[in-house]
Amino acid sequence: MHLALLKLAVLPDRTFRTVNPPMFPRSPHSCPDRIARHVLLLVMWTWCGASIADEAVKVPENIAAILQTHCSECHRDKNRKGGLQLDQLPGILAGGESGPVIDLKQLKESHLLQKIESGEMPPEDQPRLSTDDVTAIRNWILDEAFWSEASQASKETNSDHEVYPILLRRCIVCHGRHRQEGKLDLRTHASAMKGGQSGAVVVPGEPEKSLLIQKVRSGAMPPHDRLVEVSIKPIEPREIEVLAEWIKRGAADFVAPMPGPTDGPDTLVTATDREFWSFKNPVRPSIPDVRALDATPTEASNPIDAFLLQKLHERGLEYSPAADKATLIRRATYDLTGLPPDPNDVVAFLEDKSPQAWAKVIDRLLASPQYGEHQARRWLDLAGYADSEGKREQDLPRPHAWRYRDYVIRSLNADKPFDRFLQEQLAGDELVDYENAAEITPEMSDCLVATGFLRMVPDATWANITGYVPDRIEVIADEIDVLGSAVMGLSLKCARCHSHKFDPIPQRDYYRMLAVFRPALDEYDWLKPDVRAGLGPVSVDTMPGRLLPFVPTAERQAWEEHEAAVNQRVADAKARNASAEDIRAIESQRKPEPLIQALWDRGEPTPVYVYRRGDPLNAGEVVSPGAPSVLSSTNGDLDIQPPRPGAKSTGRRLAFARWLTRPDHPLTSRVQMNYMWQQHFGQGIVKTLANFGKTGTPPSHPELLDWLACEFVRNNWSLKSMHRLMMTSRAYQQASALEEDRLAKDPDNQLISRMPMTRLSAEELYDAMLIVSGRLDPTPFGPADPVQARPDGLITPSATANGWRRMIYVQQARKKQVTHQENFDFPQMNPNCVERRDSLVAPQALHLMNNGMVFQLADATADRILSEAGPEPAKQIERLTWLTQGRAPSAEEQQLGIETLRQLKDEWIAGSTTPGTQPPSEADAVRKALSTYCHAVFNSAGFLYVD
Amino acid sequence: MGAALVDLLARDGVALADQAEAPADAPIATDMLPRRPHHAPKAKAVIHLFMNGGPSQMDLFDPKPFLEKHHGENYFDRIAGEVENPQAAGALMRSSFKFRQHGQCGMWVSDAMPHLARRVDDIALVRSLYTTNLTHEPAVYLIQTGKMGPGRPTLGSWVVYGLGSESNNLPGYVVLDDPLGLPVNGVENWQAGFLPPVFQGTRFRSTGSPVLNLTPDVARPESIIQAERSLRSRLDELHRSKRPHQRILDARIASYELAARMQMAASDALDVASETAETQALYGIGTQPTDSYGRRCLIARRLIERGVRFVQLYINSQIWDNHTGLFTDMKAACDRTDLPIAGLIQDLKQRGLFDETLIVWGGEFGRLPIAQLPPDKDERKAGRDHNKNAACVWFSGAGIQGGVTHGATDELGFNAVDGRVSVPDWHATILHLLGLNYDQLYVMENGLRERLTGVAEARVVSEILK
Repeated sequence: MHLALLKLAVLPDRTFRTVNPPMFPRSPHSCPDRIARHVLLLVMWTWCGASIADEAVKVPENIAAILQTHCSECHRDKNRKGGLQLDQLPGILAGGESGPVIDLKQLKESHLLQKIESGEMPPEDQPRLSTDDVTAIRNWILDEAFWSEASQASKETNSDHEVYPILLRRCIVCHGRHRQEGKLDLRTHASAMKGGQSGAVVVPGEPEKSLLIQKVRSGAMPPHDRLVEVSIKPIEPREIEVLAEWIKRGAADFVAPMPGPTDGPDTLVTATDREFWSFKNPVRPSIPDVRALDATPTEASNPIDAFLLQKLHERGLEYSPAADKATLIRRATYDLTGLPPDPNDVVAFLEDKSPQAWAKVIDRLLASPQYGEHQARRWLDLAGYADSEGKREQDLPRPHAWRYRDYVIRSLNADKPFDRFLQEQLAGDELVDYENAAEITPEMSDCLVATGFLRMVPDATWANITGYVPDRIEVIADEIDVLGSAVMGLSLKCARCHSHKFDPIPQRDYYRMLAVFRPALDEYDWLKPDVRAGLGPVSVDTMPGRLLPFVPTAERQAWEEHEAAVNQRVADAKARNASAEDIRAIESQRKPEPLIQALWDRGEPTPVYVYRRGDPLNAGEVVSPGAPSVLSSTNGDLDIQPPRPGAKSTGRRLAFARWLTRPDHPLTSRVQMNYMWQQHFGQGIVKTLANFGKTGTPPSHPELLDWLACEFVRNNWSLKSMHRLMMTSRAYQQASALEEDRLAKDPDNQLISRMPMTRLSAEELYDAMLIVSGRLDPTPFGPADPVQARPDGLITPSATANGWRRMIYVQQARKKQVTHQENFDFPQMNPNCVERRDSLVAPQALHLMNNGMVFQLADATADRILSEAGPEPAKQIERLTWLTQGRAPSAEEQQLGIETLRQLKDEWIAGSTTPGTQPPSEADAVRKALSTYCHAVFNSAGFLYVD
Repeated sequence: MGAALVDLLARDGVALADQAEAPADAPIATDMLPRRPHHAPKAKAVIHLFMNGGPSQMDLFDPKPFLEKHHGENYFDRIAGEVENPQAAGALMRSSFKFRQHGQCGMWVSDAMPHLARRVDDIALVRSLYTTNLTHEPAVYLIQTGKMGPGRPTLGSWVVYGLGSESNNLPGYVVLDDPLGLPVNGVENWQAGFLPPVFQGTRFRSTGSPVLNLTPDVARPESIIQAERSLRSRLDELHRSKRPHQRILDARIASYELAARMQMAASDALDVASETAETQALYGIGTQPTDSYGRRCLIARRLIERGVRFVQLYINSQIWDNHTGLFTDMKAACDRTDLPIAGLIQDLKQRGLFDETLIVWGGEFGRLPIAQLPPDKDERKAGRDHNKNAACVWFSGAGIQGGVTHGATDELGFNAVDGRVSVPDWHATILHLLGLNYDQLYVMENGLRERLTGVAEARVVSEILK
């Protein structure tokens, strides 16, 4: 900051430092696209410009006293909420993060006056200003003579700082990194001064002689009829004046350097802010001695139980009795693999009387390939996985996204340490030297595929008309939102337009985070999702898209050989004068090039400016990459180095990923353990899974959460070991029965005095019907299975040659959601889903009662049972109950089943005697009766709910 | 897809409790029980006539003599950043339609809408709506959900979240889409976003089976259907009897009963044939080109009568998106909808429903005063490009002062200048008429208070209210 307003200091012993942001305290909200309706046309008061005044202008004493008493607690030198300092005149004139607070052109429109008169400031919980005080402030702010003198004393000297953002948003697309139309490159001061084909474009001191000014003044640049083609808006008169002024002043360098580290405490984040529980490193607590707490000693060999029982005992509660073994294995199998247990596995468990029987079940499930297929779904929800771009009618497909899905499944199956898993997804491209490698190994390729994590949000920037800078910023904001909610447990998006109102996240820190991602996500150097022909109007964008060819060398070679073989066959066919049809048939054997949807550092990032009020037309200070100060230190704490000597890559994301996966990071391990806890126990220890800040719910068991977080890291971030730990607790093995006493003392089960009864999720239900009916095609991985839409709008996954694959392999097209998913609460990814909501709506009943695929699967189940259980109804009912519910039928169910099968068979024979139709044969009626029975079971609570 | 939810665990009225103290994990309403509004409502129900595509204000409701005078003059360079298709931009273009004042109030309507022109004393026209994006998808998202992107609850979802529904066997929020195709953004136009799925709009088709999966895909004898129903209920009873206090299981059984009732009620509500020939004619049913839209208008009335809270009508694709051929294509759009809409107003009035039903007409943006030329540059086939700075919308029915014209655009019709109405204002006005305060209708989403209007400040357009 280059201000030199020292003499303007009014209150003694305070020096003027910097600008920034006023707060608009309201109720909590998120506001990704806040465009204030009543945008004040405030005088630009740039951060770099005011001259030394000869005489000090002073805030009148009575006003200074009011400000001192009511405002300076939060808006003073050492604590500048919203970047605003009200304890001395330069600070008042400089304004805050949203711009000026005094509107020198229209004093009555001044923000400061509005905030005070509306009663918004001071905040509700602070002493109110008296009417007299408000009147005094009003008179002061409306005192034109005072402000005229004050602003004279500090008038702008230059506004070079504003120049670069204008060039970035209006010119760089054609005169920058990728195109230098007229051989002009405006990216650096040197290249701008050098000019282009027509010579110099800037004549220092002579704006009207400068080609740059002539071109923009005449409207020749940016060219009006090609604006949409390059997704930019016309330059505004105000911006032209800024450029002209800059040239008039001598056209000095306009690229503001990134601020270096500063000493001393952060003026935007206080020591008290840092004391909030979730911002402090987790410390491994000691395990409570449950025996000591309770007269009747309880076994608590698993530390989780010690923490839980301690709280339960305080309320005079014990755990519920243990669930029976069949219930347990069904619960565990769904929890870990998303599938019903195989009857043989249930029987083996029932018969295994060894003390390790339960642990063996858990280990077997953790080792099964279906574990990854199910657990990946959880992570894909958090990442916001989808196979299409969304937002526009075309819903452009993402034909390569599936590699990321497969990467997640394989990583989880391999129990890749979570810190590594995260590092790969945030900065895999900086972990491996893929550009110089002689051979791309599967591991290297995985590191690139993993970065697809930051390519998942809805994105319409492939089209020119929805590819403007604000549209790109929206995409970046969504990615940051995904990172914030899935990994950091913070509502970072709040700080995009103003400092977070509740958490100590200054707007500066949001933009520091953007600077971390800038070398890969740069709104002024944008990679479009796709640039194929036929996608809307012509685009001048010749950038390479988001796909990289670095699949494993073996896979690449196989594809190249295949293509070469096809080429050869085509050549041969042509040589023998084959028909066009024959040649087309050969051509159709071509396979698409194997590509990776990735995110990578491209070097040379543009500077990151804080956008006041989130508005890219209102660029504030430049920031350096950094982590949020409240979680690190004043300077954002990243050790940024290029990943290897000579690398183009900046190393920013890698430094961030390493910071995020520090063993003692306050949030990373806590947030993940909370997600896992929610998965097994139905609700988080922190119920607001993606909000560990002040507006989130406090943890119900803070010590347990910290213990789990520390244990997770101690176990080398092994997710499997933590699943094992949670599931081998006695807490997990409780029954789910509700009893009045428990309901009274622990109504929402916050204390875990029982296990929750849960409904199968959309994919569990779908997969379960497939596996029960024997129609599950178990083939893993690869491109997504397409979906088909019926004219009435019903959308169903397409079958493979062997049935249907698990739902995780079904295409997730944003605008063609499978009806089954829609009905059973499978989320829309906008941008991601942190917690599924279970609904109970009539269309679910209608779906299971009437949908054709459910009928089809009921038929298949009947066939399977007939072949496995034979003709005897009792055996059939038994087999069906084992397959669908993992247990033997009760005597009542057996009885009901036998009677109903007989009745159904008779009804089928009787019901079909409409004229002209043959009644079904005995065998056919038996099959139809059984199918009807299976259909009823698919509709029954016993199948849909897990105890 | 959401029909009346029967989650008996849900607590009623939470959305409307004292807002200031709601904890981050406050339970939210997840049922369709009627809820108390914030203040006395004027409207019990809403019929939203969504005019996808962006109807041309200066050819329908906002006459511009200036354009007559300056027809053919270049204006593009002054608005270059506001044009979607700069290469096709032509000069200023006068309207090819003739304007006349109508009714007692003297409201200006062009001859493209002769039937609505007879009803102007029943509608309040707003000439000064503006929006923030000139591309269909973002603009449609904005007007439907308050944000220029997917993922947030739609207006109808917020309404039924706030008020529940008066109907026991029909969904509270019904969408009548055009059998010829979905509007831009497809089913996202009626999604519930982060609200519970029960508040999603349920699509009723005006032909065939009205709701997806409402009728079985496989035909079976009635006796089999009955036998299976009784089997399922006995299995569920056995299951429930072993699980006392699990109210979700009771609710699930109730949801099957509701599903059965819905099968009857939905078919009944769609039974247009049971209306008199006179009524059908009023809506233009049985004649072209009004039959299809007329049916939906009449079904809308039948749904409102049955207690449905929010009914939304769509037309296929974007019939108002007249980039070229404005004179013929916009006229065709009017011909399909004008008579049925006028008929709907008249029918509601004669049945005493007009004073409790709010009708809302409008699209996602307006159109430009300059021409958009077809590739062959033939001016006779010109149209108009999108304009985010001005659009006309109108309201009618409950709480609305008929005959009012609110707001004004500049002499070109390019920019709303007087009495500007933002999309959040438009939302707030509709909520207000239903007894809801936009600022107090919120849901706690991960510790944050989310509203239809987001963080925008909004103003009820009181000038059009009674």
